[in-house]
Amino acid sequence: MMGEWKKYLPAIIRIALGLVFLYAGVMKIIDPVAFAGSVAAYKILPYGLNYLVAAILPWVETICGLLLIVNYRVKASACIVLCMNLVFMVALASTIVRGLDIDCGCFRQGGEKTPAWLAILRDIPFVAAAIFLLSRKDKLPEGKQPSS
Amino acid sequence: MAGSLKKLCFEMGAIILAAVLIGISWNHKMLLNVWSGKQSAAPAPSSVAPDKGILPLPAGLLQAKEFFNRKQAVFVDARDAFIFAQGHISGAVSLPLGQFDAKLAEFMIKVPLATTLFVYCSGYGCHDSMKLGQKLIGKGYQRVFIYEGGFPEWKDNGLPTEGEKP
Repeated sequence: MMGEWKKYLPAIIRIALGLVFLYAGVMKIIDPVAFAGSVAAYKILPYGLNYLVAAILPWVETICGLLLIVNYRVKASACIVLCMNLVFMVALASTIVRGLDIDCGCFRQGGEKTPAWLAILRDIPFVAAAIFLLSRKDKLPEGKQPSS
Repeated sequence: MAGSLKKLCFEMGAIILAAVLIGISWNHKMLLNVWSGKQSAAPAPSSVAPDKGILPLPAGLLQAKEFFNRKQAVFVDARDAFIFAQGHISGAVSLPLGQFDAKLAEFMIKVPLATTLFVYCSGYGCHDSMKLGQKLIGKGYQRVFIYEGGFPEWKDNGLPTEGEKP
């Protein structure tokens, strides 16, 4: 029983991580102006860049989420997801240091507020999952090329 | 090793490039509006629960400076008239929160509804600017930002001020 779980665990982690980021990306694509407001609340970027980030970041999340789910270019997607999470965690930590009481803007815009410290804690398993996927060496039948 | 790292970087670049192209195409109208200064204020979802209405967008010092230097906004001072007289952001208009009803008509004659407004008061601890900003949105102003650093941050950064004690 345990052996079977171990066999499927990497796929479960990959698909779960992919679903999280697909959901996060789609929620932001639906309302980019509201997401721009969430980005602006961090008080890091100038006015115009808030909107540029709001236009592009959701698509990075969505594409990486989809690639993880369909098991294509997994390492590249996992690496991007890892980098994004690290940046999010630094930005969230900066809001705590600067005394900003804001919603992280991570998922549904305009919903219940998620405090920064909770969002940081929530990002830790995502970072761990991305590192796990990056560290895996796929074992394939002879003559087959590894998928990244 | 170097080969697989190169391949990884190339794939990451391709994913990001695809996201940039799709994201900019998908949101080209929003980005064009922002570029031309037409983007209306988005609600700040972090601030208050949805049933409390549309809120003005928070703005930092850099954003306020950008708009000030380009003369693309009117700065609105939410503090008392006495404090305003002692010192305010150069060119700002006084509209004390406590005298909103009395001074609104005069303000609306001077400041058209299409104007971008930066509302401020005494800094991060002062909530009058947010309340004034909401009232202005309620009266039809669509582009209202809250400069949360307020007069203290503006002055501490050596930016233009006016008043009896600048």
